[in-house]
Amino acid sequence: MHLTKLNAGSKILVALIVALSLQSCGPDRLDDYGGESFFLVNQDGQEVTFPDDFEGAPLIVGFIYTNCPDICSFITANVRRIENAGTYPDGTQFALITFDPERDRPDVLKSYAAAFEMDKAPYQFLTGNPEEIERLMKRVSVRKAISSEQETENGDSVYFLSHSDKILLLDSQSRLVFDYGGSMTPVDIVAEDLSQLQ
Amino acid sequence: MKSLYFGTLIIFILLIFTACQQKSDNQASTNLMEGEGIEVVDPWARPGAEGRMSAAYFLISNFKSEDDVLISVETDAAQNAEVHESYEREEGMMSMREVPQLDLPAQSTVRFEQGGLHVMLMQLNRQLSDGDTFELTLTFENNEPVTVEVPVRL
Repeated sequence: MHLTKLNAGSKILVALIVALSLQSCGPDRLDDYGGESFFLVNQDGQEVTFPDDFEGAPLIVGFIYTNCPDICSFITANVRRIENAGTYPDGTQFALITFDPERDRPDVLKSYAAAFEMDKAPYQFLTGNPEEIERLMKRVSVRKAISSEQETENGDSVYFLSHSDKILLLDSQSRLVFDYGGSMTPVDIVAEDLSQLQ
Repeated sequence: MKSLYFGTLIIFILLIFTACQQKSDNQASTNLMEGEGIEVVDPWARPGAEGRMSAAYFLISNFKSEDDVLISVETDAAQNAEVHESYEREEGMMSMREVPQLDLPAQSTVRFEQGGLHVMLMQLNRQLSDGDTFELTLTFENNEPVTVEVPVRL
């Protein structure tokens, strides 16, 4: 069968199969964050530059906000479970970055990290000024929007966000290896991908 | 080439069918074998920081021959507790909506699970850590309230 004899639909299908085959074998990267720097602060108030300070080893990074009861706790727990799997290259780092910097200040992130027993290396919880966080979220294609607001019994107002559900795997050169559904992707798949970055 | 198209089409249909089947399984299953009244089993909750959020999950079964409705949830672990449901608002965007009253059809089980139905615990009165427990009381339209002890786990 000659490719030239196939119709347009068949050629597209063949091209798709070839592309998928190559992707499964090759070291192609989906994006490269190495050319930019984002100035953040971690749960201890220390300045952290993303992704510069993480270069030299792979990075698992999830995106959360701490007023999220369900999906973000799932993402956070998944990052922890990926680390607990223990099948990662030496020096691998694990970070969670808030997209709600107005409320998630370092002390809030520290309490949140402590609740998940993640207030220690190799985990970091990161926030920043709202403009810097917005710039970062745009770069990594994390979206958010206020979805609802409600008053609690003591009169406080709490708002909730619709948001992307995402965990990223970056290689040691800050290149995007995979973009996962943060709460949905089985942890063993991410751990397996991470273990391939030796 | 036609057989390749048909093969691809069948795989897509099977994938869609499987996804739909999983979704419906999450909501309710029928034909319960044994039990009495309303039973709540396998409760658990995520950790959470004081003043922040957590969520509780469990299986709730209505073994009666009449339908019932979950009308409220209460706990001393948080200032507010409400039934909510996470859902995918659009591709890749997760959102959440309140479920003011949850139908519990006769002889059915409803699953509260991550990424779906959950009891949202707002403004925790204390930090909830792995190994902690708290009580959660569920109130129904046609049944006595049920109180369960909820363990916190990572």
